[in-house]
Amino acid sequence: MTQFGSVRLEGVVKRHGSFTALHGIDLAIAPGEFFALLGPSGSGKTTTLRILAGLEEVDEGRVFLDDADVTQREPGERDVAMVFQSYALYPHMTVEQNISFPLRMIGTPAAQIAAAVRDAAAKVGIGHLLARRPGQLSGGQQQRCALARAIVRKPRLFLLDEPLSNLDAKLRLETRAELRKLQRSLGITAVYVTHDQEEAMTVADRMAVFMEGRIVQVGAPRDIFLAPANATVAAFIGTPAMNLLPAQLADGRVQVHDASLPVAAPPGERGAVMLGIRPGDLQVGADGIAARVEFIEDLGDNVIINFDVQGQRLKSRRDRAAGLAEGQQVRLSFDPHAAHLFDGATGERLQASAPGRP
Amino acid sequence: MQLKREPAARSARPIRTLASQERRFALALLVPALLVLLLTTTTPLVYLVWNSLHRLDLGMPWLSGFAGLENYTRMGSDPRFWNSLWLTVVYTGSTVVLQVLIGLSLALLVLQIPRGQGVLRVAAILPIVLAPVVVGLFWRTLVLAPDFGLVDVASRALGMGSHNWLGDPQLALISVIAIHTWQWTPFAFLVLLATLATLPPDVYEAARLDRAGAWQRFFHITLPLIRPAIVMVVILRMMTALSAFAAIFAATGGGPGSATEILNLYAYRTSFTELNLGYGASLAVVLMAITLAISFLMFRLRRAR
Amino acid sequence: MTHAVGARVRALVLWLVAGLLLAVWAFPVLWGLLTSFKTERDVLAYPPTVLFEPTLDNYREVIFGGSSILPNLWSSFVVSTAATLLTMLFAVPAAYALARLRYPAKRGSGFYVLATQMLPPVGLIIPYYLVLQGIGWLDTYSGLTAIYLTFSLPFAIWLMVSYFEDIPMEMEEAALLDRAGRLRTLWYVILPQVRGGIAVTTIFVFLNAWNEFLFAVVLGGNNVRPVTVAMFNFISVEQTQWARLAAGAMLAMAPVILIGLVAQRHIVKGLTVGAVKGGGRR
Repeated sequence: MTQFGSVRLEGVVKRHGSFTALHGIDLAIAPGEFFALLGPSGSGKTTTLRILAGLEEVDEGRVFLDDADVTQREPGERDVAMVFQSYALYPHMTVEQNISFPLRMIGTPAAQIAAAVRDAAAKVGIGHLLARRPGQLSGGQQQRCALARAIVRKPRLFLLDEPLSNLDAKLRLETRAELRKLQRSLGITAVYVTHDQEEAMTVADRMAVFMEGRIVQVGAPRDIFLAPANATVAAFIGTPAMNLLPAQLADGRVQVHDASLPVAAPPGERGAVMLGIRPGDLQVGADGIAARVEFIEDLGDNVIINFDVQGQRLKSRRDRAAGLAEGQQVRLSFDPHAAHLFDGATGERLQASAPGRP
Repeated sequence: MQLKREPAARSARPIRTLASQERRFALALLVPALLVLLLTTTTPLVYLVWNSLHRLDLGMPWLSGFAGLENYTRMGSDPRFWNSLWLTVVYTGSTVVLQVLIGLSLALLVLQIPRGQGVLRVAAILPIVLAPVVVGLFWRTLVLAPDFGLVDVASRALGMGSHNWLGDPQLALISVIAIHTWQWTPFAFLVLLATLATLPPDVYEAARLDRAGAWQRFFHITLPLIRPAIVMVVILRMMTALSAFAAIFAATGGGPGSATEILNLYAYRTSFTELNLGYGASLAVVLMAITLAISFLMFRLRRAR
Repeated sequence: MTHAVGARVRALVLWLVAGLLLAVWAFPVLWGLLTSFKTERDVLAYPPTVLFEPTLDNYREVIFGGSSILPNLWSSFVVSTAATLLTMLFAVPAAYALARLRYPAKRGSGFYVLATQMLPPVGLIIPYYLVLQGIGWLDTYSGLTAIYLTFSLPFAIWLMVSYFEDIPMEMEEAALLDRAGRLRTLWYVILPQVRGGIAVTTIFVFLNAWNEFLFAVVLGGNNVRPVTVAMFNFISVEQTQWARLAAGAMLAMAPVILIGLVAQRHIVKGLTVGAVKGGGRR
């Protein structure tokens, strides 16, 4: 792998007038990592990306690329390439001219340019479209053209701003995998902004979850999935979202409405909590929380059952809906080790380790 | 590409932030034009205001000297000034209203005959590209001339007799209003036609399903949607009407007497025909103040949506 | 059944209206054209003759004869072209700065440009006259061209700003990241995308310059007398040379009519852009 392309943000603060978009961001990305910035709209992830690019200035804090302080450096001086959400292809230039533009700007000899362009275009599979204009390309082809333009000069950092959001669902899934492969083969550090947590989970080596201008959790997608740091992250990650219920914790058991169920809680913890159960961990049985089946979504591969628990909707994911019908009264339970517990007031995770691991 | 480990403290390179470079570039682009504008508009403006504070009559040069606001107070009791002000209001108001009404109605009608639109657009371009002075002369000679002018021929044929369209004080005002309207209605027509063509059809389909009749669709959907275009047309046409000069000059010269002497022309005549530069300057200043005030108001109106 | 008849009647009415429009707007020019081929006697005839014996005498006189307006056409051409070129040279960069770049007093400069359009020409001609006289530029091409800039520049800037604002912000950002720098970004990326706007603005500026009258008549003279002023050659206190005036006017307006016909699509687009988008987004 490469040794270049490490990124570090220290205490980055960004304000727009009286509104603070970023409240002190600290981040470290290793060379060659595929790092995702995940969060809902307005959470500050795109702002952070643009700060890395140099397109926005910071009010406080510093930005380091390969241990060099680039906070004051212009975008063109950072050796960073970016794929915009709208692709930002130059409409009056052909695909070939678009891709070769960065090389032309730094005065690369013509022969070298031609070879590099062919190479980049081949890597993303648009070698046959070099003479066309962006207006004549499909959405997916435009996206690849933008990618080719980004990789052609082998920058030390890739920035991608929701590059797949303008593609239709099926294309998105295919392109996701290809992006991952491409990044691996090039070995260039990539920072990827998305609001789609499934996307982040599949492409990223590590990710940072943004909420309201702060990073609330950093780690491998799997780790965050298994042990979300607080209730908000828990609700954000996973499809369908984690079920969250208010409950009372005492002596290793939670009281949820009329039911008392055992949980693997840290010793000595008690009080008001938010109980989190993933849809895949919600079981239907004879004992547990009283619920009524509201409706069943049959997705073919699996089934999502929507329950009504005293006005709140819970979801369970199973292989088949065996034996369950709408309107049926059932009882819900879960494996004690599969439960997530969050402080009732702060929403912070109570358990030290991921459930399921002793 | 080798990268050295730079110390965490400030590097030796001068710091060129994005903002400062952008600033320098922006000013480099803007300053030449601003300089030209400064030289050619602000300096003469200062001179104009300065003149307006003086008694400066080339016909009576012995009276020259600083006069303070005398020119302006004199305006207050000058019936010719109030006449010109009134004429300006009438001229501007009627031409703009007529242009918008006629232009909008025609646009709505023409919208429904897509095949005719091409030819009509060409016909509409003609009045707009002509020089106003030529338009004024045209109308004066070929259209409004007694006996063989188009209008006179028509009025005789319709039994209304021959009239001195530009020589009769009443008719003269109507004539110059007609000239201005003729020349500039195509502008409103073209702009509104283009705007109407871009309206989304699904809004109308929804309205049809909601059982809205043609008039209701017009008032509740069309009008609000084209409001920005109408406002902009009104602003632009007002500016043109306030500064209209060449057409009226060519057609009537401001006469007969002062029958078509809008403020613009009054200022011109005072300065150049009567050579009373001081008073003429003050009239021009007043005209400018009115123009600025109206445009300020209109832009406010445009923003307050 | 009645639906179809009603539709027919409606179509008829619409076509009638369209025909009327055509007549009202095109007729005066056509009538002028017709008149330019008549003898003076034919012009004054009542009822007006549509069929007559055409003559080229008027055009001969107006082009080659004593009342030739060829020097005036030349004056108009030189001044209009020079003014247009200079205007675009100054206006396009300035408009870019106003539309896209950040710098101190941006709003103020925007207002300033707008405000300079509001000055009544009547008020400015006296100072212009005195200054031009002072530096010996009265009745010269340089003098007139320089003064034409005063009304062309704000107008051109204002129009170009709306064209620049139409380009997505990411264009500059992508180009900067591609190490193009500000100037090359403008040249290679932004300007090619406003080619249409530049064309339209150039047309409008040229038209305005060609049709200018007030400045031409006050600040021009015997050497530099644009075609708009030359029209009055045919009108004097004693008599008006109707047919010759018509021929002269036809010649004088030929360039702008030609531009109007050829570039009508551009012109209409330009009118709409200026009217709907311009001026408000500062």
